[in-house]
Amino acid sequence: MKSYMGRVLRIELSSGKVVEEKTKEEWLNKYYGQKGLGFRYLLEDIDPAIDPLSAENEIIFTPGVFAGTIISSGGKLAITSKSPATGTITDGSVGGSIGAEVKYAGYDAIIIKGKAERLVYLYITPDKTEVRDAEFLRGRGTHQTDFMLKKELKDEEVKIISIGPAGENLVKIACMTSELYRQQGRGGIAAVMGSKNLKAIAIKGWKDVTVPNILSFLRTIGEINKKHLLIPDNSWTISDGTLVFGDFVNDGGILPTRNFQTGVSPTYKRLRSEMVDKRKKGNKACFGCALACGNYIQIDNIDLEGPEYETLNMAGCNCEIPDLKTITQFNKACDDLGLDTISVGNIVAYIMEMRERGIHDFGISFGDVENYSKLPEKIAYRKGIGNELAEGVRFLSEKYGGKEFAMHVKGLEVPSYDPRGSWGMGLAYATSDRGACHMRAFPITEEVIEKTVDPFTFKGKAKLVIDGQHYNTAKFSIGICDFWALDFNLLARLLNMATGSNTTGEDIAKGGERIWNLGRIFNVMAGFRRKDDTLPERFFSEPLPEGPAKGKVLPKKEFEKTLSEYYQLRGWDEEGIPSKEKLEELEMDKEVIEKFERYLNKG
Amino acid sequence: MKLVLEPEECTGCKLCELACSAKNEGVFNPRKARLKIINRYIKGGREVEGKFCTLCKKCLEVCPTEAITFNGKWLTVDDELCSGCGECVDACPQGVIFLNDEDKAAICNFCEGDPYCVKWCPRKCLKLEVEE
Repeated sequence: MKSYMGRVLRIELSSGKVVEEKTKEEWLNKYYGQKGLGFRYLLEDIDPAIDPLSAENEIIFTPGVFAGTIISSGGKLAITSKSPATGTITDGSVGGSIGAEVKYAGYDAIIIKGKAERLVYLYITPDKTEVRDAEFLRGRGTHQTDFMLKKELKDEEVKIISIGPAGENLVKIACMTSELYRQQGRGGIAAVMGSKNLKAIAIKGWKDVTVPNILSFLRTIGEINKKHLLIPDNSWTISDGTLVFGDFVNDGGILPTRNFQTGVSPTYKRLRSEMVDKRKKGNKACFGCALACGNYIQIDNIDLEGPEYETLNMAGCNCEIPDLKTITQFNKACDDLGLDTISVGNIVAYIMEMRERGIHDFGISFGDVENYSKLPEKIAYRKGIGNELAEGVRFLSEKYGGKEFAMHVKGLEVPSYDPRGSWGMGLAYATSDRGACHMRAFPITEEVIEKTVDPFTFKGKAKLVIDGQHYNTAKFSIGICDFWALDFNLLARLLNMATGSNTTGEDIAKGGERIWNLGRIFNVMAGFRRKDDTLPERFFSEPLPEGPAKGKVLPKKEFEKTLSEYYQLRGWDEEGIPSKEKLEELEMDKEVIEKFERYLNKG
Repeated sequence: MKLVLEPEECTGCKLCELACSAKNEGVFNPRKARLKIINRYIKGGREVEGKFCTLCKKCLEVCPTEAITFNGKWLTVDDELCSGCGECVDACPQGVIFLNDEDKAAICNFCEGDPYCVKWCPRKCLKLEVEE
């Protein structure tokens, strides 16, 4: 099929064996690419019950279907694995150029298994794949790794994705970095890399990506861009980038502050204005994308692409850090060390509150700039208190107490939206396939940004969340970034133009649901049930003290009722287990249904 | 006729390279583009530079078969005459000439005065300047 490369690369690190196989064509119109294809290969290859840090776990790199073409926002790369933070399936996507480069190297998927004896990196080109020594990179940050590998390979153009010391040291909130500032952030996939002794992947490609009738393709994409992409609704990507979300969220009174003790930040607006109005030097785009949402800034001698909204708030305002330079340095340190800034920010605010409440003293209070700035390094190298912080908020709360304000779902730290003023978002966090995530369904759009739906009710929210999950799943599987809100029909049109397939918007909606169920099958087989689809106690019992959502909590009984409604609408039972009828209706492939049946019958 | 890049506006999206390879080679492949945008992070900053045909005509001078000619506006390659020796590739100071799949020199001709790279630049920071 056009736009695909037709080949999958498998690397078994224990033996060093490299094999190429054909892409499973029969999966492509069911699971597409990126998230869907990554999920399908992972479920095929591993037992969902395994230890995420064992050699049996896999790490799968799958570009979107449009990666390498001229379709904007289509260049992302999904990285799929069993998460060491949550034990769920997880996929995170990274932007930049690496997704397209995987295609130019000739692959629809790169699948890595096993464990190397010493620290290694992979050098992948269309000619060959080499497993090479990386001991000289041990302990190095992702930035230095990028520079050193380019030097070693004598190639400034090679694309690299790497882990920092955090990943090497199996930190549960470790992330992967490409081109310095593009991260696969959540779920600790970099620790899976570390557990395999895999420091980095360097890729250089020169193969063609082809589409049917390229000149008419160019013409039509040009027209679509004018009508649907480069329009006033999307101009925020250039003017402000993700910071724009914080404006709405702060106005809605749900901007996490002081570890979700309140939803109104006294500093957010000042910091974001300083960034955009004074410090911004330009925009940076991912490969092949006209939206160019990256803010490149300079403060004195520090430069950074970022901070993104999530970082500015979670690692900034949420910890009461008052100045942009400190947050920028912290952000850069996390990118370099390979740490997820959302989780780090959440953890730091949590230990600050622990001290405030006298539960445990890690020696840091809200607004303590000096100690705050030392934390990324401590966590990444597991030095001192960093060794425990590296295990995440859930671990800390289980060891020291304070579970009611340990802000995580299934072990993944909650990002920068407080659901007490967006009840649909609460259900979205609870039911997300990888724990508390804002990228699986995003009812904030309707509840807080567009204000078309009452944020303080669960009525209609089960359906809103389900629709959102299918929408994002389809988009992230075919391969369009979060920031282009195109509809299913346009997505189908793009897919047909790029591959020559004959798909409709309805097919794609069903595809999104199919892949969502695939994720649930994995998670059920990994032991997840209804009791796990919940939220931190603070959201249920502690009213927000000020702002538009003042006095609001998520009523627990209603939440449970809505969760049941969610399962019913999905065709899942009361424990959240998908029915065979539903899977057949979704045309899930027979092998998946049989595998799941065998698991369920085993009891 | 020349291409000019305003580096402070360039986002590094490389849509120009993709449009070039699509229009001229029928594929998406930045290694088959007749221009090159460097836009990357280096230690302590960002490096942005455009590499284009400047009509310096070094390729024309070294071509042993006289396959490359200048029509007063842009360079053209006569595929019948081109032997695929690659002398022009080595001679190009900008590094924007390559041999295509048929082993013929691929040289920018500004899409005969209507360059696709310029058309596809979303920030309008890649421009074609025409001397009167």
